[in-house]
Amino acid sequence: MKTLKTMTTVIAGAFALALGAGQAAAFELGVIGFQFSSETHARVANAAAAAAKAKGWNVTILNSEGSLPKHAEQFETLISKKVDAIVIAMGKPVEADAQFKAAKEKGIPVITVQSGSSAHALFDIQSNEYKVGADAALYLLGQIGYSGNIVTARFDLNAASRIRGKVLDAVLSENQAVKELGKFSMARTQSWRDDVRAGMQALLLQNQGKINAIWASFDGQAYIIDDLLRAQGVKKGQIPLVSIDGGVESYRRIADPDSTFMATVTIPFEDMGAKAVEAIEAIAVRKTPAAQVNAGPYLFVDAVLVDKTNVQAFIKP
Amino acid sequence: MRELVGRYGTAMAGLALIAFFMAFAANFANPTNLLNIAKDTSFLAILALGFTLALRIAELDLSIAEVSSLAAVTAGWMIQAKYDPSLAVAAALVVGVAFGAFNGFGVTVLKVPSLIVTLGTAAIAKGLAFALTQGVSFVGRWPTGFTGLARGTSLGAPNLLWFLLAFTAFAWVLLKWTRTGAHMTATGEADEAARLAGIATGRMKRLGLLLSGVFAAATAVLLAANVSSAAPNMAGDYFLYAIAAVLLGMTMFEPGHPNVPGTVFAALVLKVLGNGLILMGAPYYVQDIMLGVIIIGSVAFSARALQKAAFKV
Repeated sequence: MKTLKTMTTVIAGAFALALGAGQAAAFELGVIGFQFSSETHARVANAAAAAAKAKGWNVTILNSEGSLPKHAEQFETLISKKVDAIVIAMGKPVEADAQFKAAKEKGIPVITVQSGSSAHALFDIQSNEYKVGADAALYLLGQIGYSGNIVTARFDLNAASRIRGKVLDAVLSENQAVKELGKFSMARTQSWRDDVRAGMQALLLQNQGKINAIWASFDGQAYIIDDLLRAQGVKKGQIPLVSIDGGVESYRRIADPDSTFMATVTIPFEDMGAKAVEAIEAIAVRKTPAAQVNAGPYLFVDAVLVDKTNVQAFIKP
Repeated sequence: MRELVGRYGTAMAGLALIAFFMAFAANFANPTNLLNIAKDTSFLAILALGFTLALRIAELDLSIAEVSSLAAVTAGWMIQAKYDPSLAVAAALVVGVAFGAFNGFGVTVLKVPSLIVTLGTAAIAKGLAFALTQGVSFVGRWPTGFTGLARGTSLGAPNLLWFLLAFTAFAWVLLKWTRTGAHMTATGEADEAARLAGIATGRMKRLGLLLSGVFAAATAVLLAANVSSAAPNMAGDYFLYAIAAVLLGMTMFEPGHPNVPGTVFAALVLKVLGNGLILMGAPYYVQDIMLGVIIIGSVAFSARALQKAAFKV
């Protein structure tokens, strides 16, 4: 019995130590990122959490680890916790419709980022993926003079990446001198790096000497392709590689003369997370009507194409 | 006292955890929250019960999560194709039966260790799930005839609780109150002795693995109905938790043996832990750390009380 008491005390003490901080502030914000192993999800969620903490709010930050059931479960728990507001990064409004509805019924404002619209959320902050997709596709085709062969790495499980792929298809259908020799469609979300490496390696081998350019649906894929091309001795500009997302590593590679990565369309993920918190503050704290903060289901943020001409402006010393 | 602690020590620690959250986590004791925990427990517990039945006959079923995901996308595909929800449920269960039966065939006829067979079938199920979906989830506003299985209520209680109760009762009655259950236990504890005693050990092994597949498929249906969608990796997240629930369950009630009340209670404790930590504002990574600490701590605690290894696999 003494052992039991000791164990209970130790567990209780550990919890108290781990969780004791930050219980006093009034405003409670819940932040859920769908899958932190995807860097962009983590960037949005962490930026939102940081912006909220800077305001002195209490923040509960959660990672759904790419699991829909876990996502729904965490959402429900935040509602039970009676948080004052919720920010969701790359969420699933259709799948978690019941939870979005429950939050609305409980009067908890929910703002999503890069998730798509929900009738039960205030709005979704996102880059215009149709424009982003067009910027990347047209830049890539411009690199090869609108003529030649390309291969592509896609990711249709993600709505944003899927839209980018569809826009590329539309651009290709209007530019018949550019032929898509092959494509790799990434499906798995956990072992995706290995899958992309294996799939693109096979695609590069099958089409050796025939590829003029490569399009990747997000920068994480592009890094892997860049490494493969460099291992094969490809020099910058020989096979232009273009993708979308942006970030420190992307800028480093664009500036690197040995890298084949030519350009990315930079989506301001950190700004999106911070914007979500600003909007929550306006609506839930200052009681500004939601329609005045943003009318409609989307709040679009600008994305910028970054290549060798402007990359230095994005590289922090 | 030592026997009492050995048998119920982990359960007591679990109750202490619940009491701790009751006292220190705001809104934990809120009826809505407790109901949410119970509902969330149902998916994990049903999946883990299947693993328990397989482990009871001393076989490992490492395919539960992938079979569950395949069953989910099979049901999802049929719902998307406008088939009747009952047909979709039946198709999912057929997937579970087929994979469970094949696992049993592999172990008893092909004489391949269950670790290998179920690893193989897990890979096959995973491949089929991605082939069926092309990696894209089936998502939509699905008919309430299907989603109601998980989201609906019957007799004033959520359907998920009724399903949990039904599967728990089935497994418990099977193992504790039927001759078949006794034969399964004997097969698991002393395969050769059971065979010499006239028990059809091969049949028992096939039954255990078959039921594991069925429980995985049932979990799949409920998961898909709850989130109105089906993804090819849908149940992947549950794999480690299901194993953790069974192992943690083996430290209580019948120490050293996979058992039904232990598994269900352990699943509840794991869900309480996740819920309570979120309510206390813990960052997501603290949950994983605490999960590991509690699993090791609980098992070590029981083992120390019994003065022997809590269980061996």
